[in-house]
Amino acid sequence: MTRTLVVAGHGMIGHRFADRLRALDTARDWRIVILAEEPHPAYDRLALSTYLGGRSRDDLTLAGRDFLADPRVELRLATPVARADRTVRVVVTQGGDRIRYDALVLATGSRPFVPPVPGRDLTHCFVYRTFEDLDAIRRVARPGGQGLVVGGGLLGLEAAYALSRLGVRPHVVETAPHLMPAQLDPGAAEVLHRRADELGLRLHCGTGVAHVHAGPDGAVRAATLGDGTTLDVDLVVFAAGIRPRDELAKPLDLARGERGGFLVDALCRTADPRVWAIGECAAVLGRCHGLAAPGYAMADSVAAQLTGRDAQPFDRTDDATTLKLLGVHVATFGATVHPGDPRPVEVTFADGIARYAKVFLRPDTGTVLGGILARDTGSTSPLRSLVGRPPPADLERLLLP
Amino acid sequence: MNRTLVVGGGPAGHRLADRLRHHGVSGPVTILGAEPYPAYHRPLLSYVLSGQADPEALRMPALPGIETHSGTAVTHIDRVRREVHTSESVHGYDVLVLATGARADVPDIRGARGPGVTVLRTVADCARVTGDTVVVLGGGPLGVETAAALAARGTATTLVCATPHPLYDRLGESASALLTDALRRAGVDVLAGRTVTAREPGRVLLDDGTRVPADTLALCTGAHPEVRLARAAGLGVRTGIVVDDRLRTSDPRIHAIGDCAEHEGRAVAGIEAAWAQADSLARILTGQDAPAHHTTPAVFRLRTRIAEVACVGAPAAFADPALRRLTYADHEGGRYARLALRGERLVAAVLFGLPEAIASVGELHRRGQALPSDRLHLLLGGPPRPASTDLDPPEDAVICLCNNVQRQTLAKAWRAGARTVTALAAATRATTGCGGCGSDVAELSAGWARETRHDGERTP
Ligand SMILES: Cc1cc2nc3c(=O)[nH]c(=O)nc-3n(C[C@H](O)[C@H](O)[C@H](O)COP(=O)(O)OP(=O)(O)OC[C@H]3O[C@@H](n4cnc5c(N)ncnc54)[C@H](O)[C@@H]3O)c2cc1C
Ligand SMILES: Cc1cc2nc3c(=O)[nH]c(=O)nc-3n(C[C@H](O)[C@H](O)[C@H](O)COP(=O)(O)OP(=O)(O)OC[C@H]3O[C@@H](n4cnc5c(N)ncnc54)[C@H](O)[C@@H]3O)c2cc1C
Repeated sequence: MTRTLVVAGHGMIGHRFADRLRALDTARDWRIVILAEEPHPAYDRLALSTYLGGRSRDDLTLAGRDFLADPRVELRLATPVARADRTVRVVVTQGGDRIRYDALVLATGSRPFVPPVPGRDLTHCFVYRTFEDLDAIRRVARPGGQGLVVGGGLLGLEAAYALSRLGVRPHVVETAPHLMPAQLDPGAAEVLHRRADELGLRLHCGTGVAHVHAGPDGAVRAATLGDGTTLDVDLVVFAAGIRPRDELAKPLDLARGERGGFLVDALCRTADPRVWAIGECAAVLGRCHGLAAPGYAMADSVAAQLTGRDAQPFDRTDDATTLKLLGVHVATFGATVHPGDPRPVEVTFADGIARYAKVFLRPDTGTVLGGILARDTGSTSPLRSLVGRPPPADLERLLLP
Repeated sequence: MNRTLVVGGGPAGHRLADRLRHHGVSGPVTILGAEPYPAYHRPLLSYVLSGQADPEALRMPALPGIETHSGTAVTHIDRVRREVHTSESVHGYDVLVLATGARADVPDIRGARGPGVTVLRTVADCARVTGDTVVVLGGGPLGVETAAALAARGTATTLVCATPHPLYDRLGESASALLTDALRRAGVDVLAGRTVTAREPGRVLLDDGTRVPADTLALCTGAHPEVRLARAAGLGVRTGIVVDDRLRTSDPRIHAIGDCAEHEGRAVAGIEAAWAQADSLARILTGQDAPAHHTTPAVFRLRTRIAEVACVGAPAAFADPALRRLTYADHEGGRYARLALRGERLVAAVLFGLPEAIASVGELHRRGQALPSDRLHLLLGGPPRPASTDLDPPEDAVICLCNNVQRQTLAKAWRAGARTVTALAAATRATTGCGGCGSDVAELSAGWARETRHDGERTP
């Protein structure tokens, strides 16, 4: 243990990285100091909503006993990094502790974005990212009441589902014409809309929240939407996107991406050869990624670099995602189509209203570029192997078994 | 001796006479037709318009032994005396068949009944389309075919239709937009979402105030069964002349076939229905072992060189949530298809720019056969494609997307002794993300276990 690695942030990706490094560092070169802002070790944020369904913090923790007991790992909870000095390779915690590093990996994640609407700071306005956020929502949720979720993407749907499990009737407001606009086309979104209806979610697409109103007690009482609708709600959850947590860019004098995030190359390197950024806080070649899978790929790559192995440059021309939303499996696979590319051939299959799939084909060769899927059941892993080949004879059965 | 008299010398009447002869009808057969020439292939009239064919070329074969009177319009039926009257003659019958077809509609437009305006139903109508500029009104099949035919002969042609695109209701948004593109490429000026409000000398006036130069205004605004004779004779008439499964009207000695007839509550305008009814009636009248007449599912096909378009079934099927639906959209290549299926059987289809598929899908539909499971192959043709199960999953296929675990990584862990999902998860992290790949990992593991049991040597 001759060298010191400091990891800023013990979220899903910071943890994955540290764990991976432990496994790869067979020579036991590295001492790993993890400085974590949250008061508990990393937990499974993907499964955060199950916390409201009764799973405990321990159930959701990612740090197993062997990790916590590893003498190479020093995990300091509730100890956020406040500053750093790259010239002398020192990070300074909020409490003033100074730690020298040979390598520094930033894994500080994101913060929820709250749109600047009047009333957004009222009591009973929440975000949805941590145990503490969920504890606060649970304290206020009143069965039979109504809540407003701002945002119809992944987080918004998670939050709305959670509210309905708490007995609160959720309204969801989404500025795009349909749910999950970043991932889905209108056909796939329709499957989600149907499911949302069944679950009692009230969707308001194509409009935004304009104003949150307070009652006499100063807490949320109603909200007005851009289309003039006023909803009687007693809580609001903002799930309108995330912003990378790149506050350390300034004290560290590191460049940011155009839309924020620590600017790094395809190997997650900042301009300083001893400093990396991974996970949601990293703007890889200028672009941030808000899902776990790309973060894992970044973590694996940097762990390989620090142990002298060949590292995969991060390649996200392939934007595969699989998500389970309101019990609907939603997946995209293969390459995204960029503006200016020849318009791909589109093949869609719809079965009733519960299942939908679309595949993009190259107009010249007819080979599969990628696709979108929304359905109740079935595995998505065979789909990736379709990419780059002509569609097989059983394409329809693969997509909608 | 049974005298058979046919009123109407269109395709239905002609085909009936031909089939009666074929089946050895016992008495004389006479056709009385109002048009000045014997039967011709009406659906091919657009070839006359475009100049690709002259009217003679459309003639149906002569019928030796059949007495045919052209230019002879029947004015009256005397059911009691069993005779029909023309302005010059009287003809007795034992069996009377009405094959009076359909009459084109003339919409309520100022000047529509004046000069420089024509419907398009007969050879004579085609000759009325004159001049260098023509406005075609109507976004149905006839309007599209007519406009394309006129553009092909070099006439400056404008197609005006009320819908967002021609054939919009039949083809749906995407395919009808492709049709507009094809018409424009062929030189037709398409003015959609509009209608003609008046005919003025040398031009027409549109509802948005536009004036379009026009030597001729061609009305392609639909047709209705020609029922005047039947109604005057007191026969049962709704939209068409009502017939039963033996193609009988309310008078058992009088039958009706073709565009003028209404069978099973529908008056189907179309050549296939006309032929099918003529065939059925010929069997019935000659005492052949004739099953009741059934309407066969029709395939609608556009007759124009500018695009290959066909559809079957009702467009409403595409909005029916109980059906399985497939669409294929190649916008750059101008190819489009949409299918609606119940089980494996076709309920409705729209096909654009896919000529082979038009043939094969149409055939399957007519016969009510199940579609093959590879619908893309059905649409696109080419050599049969292998199924995914015939291909080895690539070694680098990513099984666990969350953790980026490839198939080969799992295989390696399996060889190294990880024989359960839990063990594979511990060794590779597969399944520890969203968990969605759990069943795949279990399946792979089970597959490898099977292979090893079968031949002890082989490992994944
Ligand atoms: C409810 C919910 C459901 C989700 N579902 C899915 C899903 O189904 N699939 C999917 O792919 N993704 C999902 N995500 C997104 C996924 O959770 C994130 O992409 C992932 O957690 C990102 O990991 P990270 O380590 O980059 O960031 P985080 O997990 O946010 O971790 C960053 C950590 O760094 C800490 N930190 C910040 N600044 C400092 C500092 N200066 N010093 C020390 N520590 C600091 C933060 O407190 C935090 O603990 C979901 C997210 C949420 C909230
Ligand atoms: C331009 C055009 C293109 C078409 N294209 C297609 C196509 O692609 N596919 C398709 O399926 N269908 C098409 N049709 C429709 C098709 O032509 C008709 O379905 C078919 O002609 C019907 O045959 P029919 O014999 O029943 O009637 P018609 O062809 O209308 O013949 C009826 C005949 O009866 C005569 N008649 C009427 N009243 C009397 C009377 N009192 N005395 C004597 N004679 C009388 C009429 O003058 C006419 O000659 C098209 C029609 C037109 C006009």
